[in-house]
Amino acid sequence: MAEFVFFVLALVTIVGALGTVISRNAYASALWMVAAFLGVSGLFIMLNAPFIAMLQIIVYAGAIAVLIIFVMMLMDRRVLNNKERFNPQYLWGVVLGVGLLADLSALAFKFRINLSHIGENLTLNGSNTKMIGDVLFKRYLFPFEITAIILLIALIGAVVLTRKDINT
Amino acid sequence: MIVYYMIVAVLLFAIGATGVMIRRNFIIVLMSLEIMLNGAGMLLIIMAYYLGNISGQVMFIFVAAVAASETAIGLAIAVMMYKRKGSLDINNFSMLKK
Repeated sequence: MAEFVFFVLALVTIVGALGTVISRNAYASALWMVAAFLGVSGLFIMLNAPFIAMLQIIVYAGAIAVLIIFVMMLMDRRVLNNKERFNPQYLWGVVLGVGLLADLSALAFKFRINLSHIGENLTLNGSNTKMIGDVLFKRYLFPFEITAIILLIALIGAVVLTRKDINT
Repeated sequence: MIVYYMIVAVLLFAIGATGVMIRRNFIIVLMSLEIMLNGAGMLLIIMAYYLGNISGQVMFIFVAAVAASETAIGLAIAVMMYKRKGSLDINNFSMLKK
C-alpha cells in the first residue's frame, strides 16, 4: 500500500516538474509547478514530516506560486508566452542535465550509512511540531534570527529594485 | 525504499537545473530554481527520516525562507527588466556587455 501511494505521489511530482520545464504557456507552467509542490508535500507526509508538509503547501504552493502568478498577471500575455521557448543551445543544456542526473543517481545508489533506525525518533517523542519547535528555538536560535534578517533584506531589496526613479 | 525517495529528489534537482539552462523566459527560470531548491530540501527531509534526527526538518524551514526571499528578489528583477526592456527573454538581459 505504501509503495502504491509513493509511486502515485512520485509520478505527480515528476510530471509536474517536467510540465513546468517544457510547457509552452507560462500560466500552465505555474500550475504544473503547484502540482509538483503538492506531490512533494505528500511525499513529506510519508516521510514522517507532517508539519513540514503543511509548511510546504502554505509557503510554496500558496505564497510563492501566488506571487509568481500575480506578477505574471501584470505583464503582457504576448510577451510572456513567447513563441520560442528554448535557448538556441538547448541541446547542451539537456546533455548537462542528463549528466547531472546520472551522476547524482549513482551517488544515491551508492549511499550507505549503517546506523539506520529509520524514522524511529521522529515519531517516538510525541508531536512532530513540538520537537521542531524545541530544536528550532534552542539549538538553532541564532540561524533563526539570521533568517529574519534575510527576509527583511529581501523585502527592502524588492522595494528598492522596483522603484520608479531608478536610473542607468 | 529510501533509494527511491532519493531518486525522486535527484530527478527534481536535475529537471530544475535543465529548466534553468534551456528556458528563455525569465519567470520560468525562476520557477525551475524553485523546483531545484525543493529537490535539495526534500533530500534534507529524507536524511532526517533515515537518521531519525529532527534537525533536517528544521533545516528545511531555513531553506524555505531563503527560497521565498530569493523569489521575491527575482520577481522584483523581472518587473524591473520588463519595465526597462519590454521583454522577459534572458538573452536580452545582458546589460553589462558593451
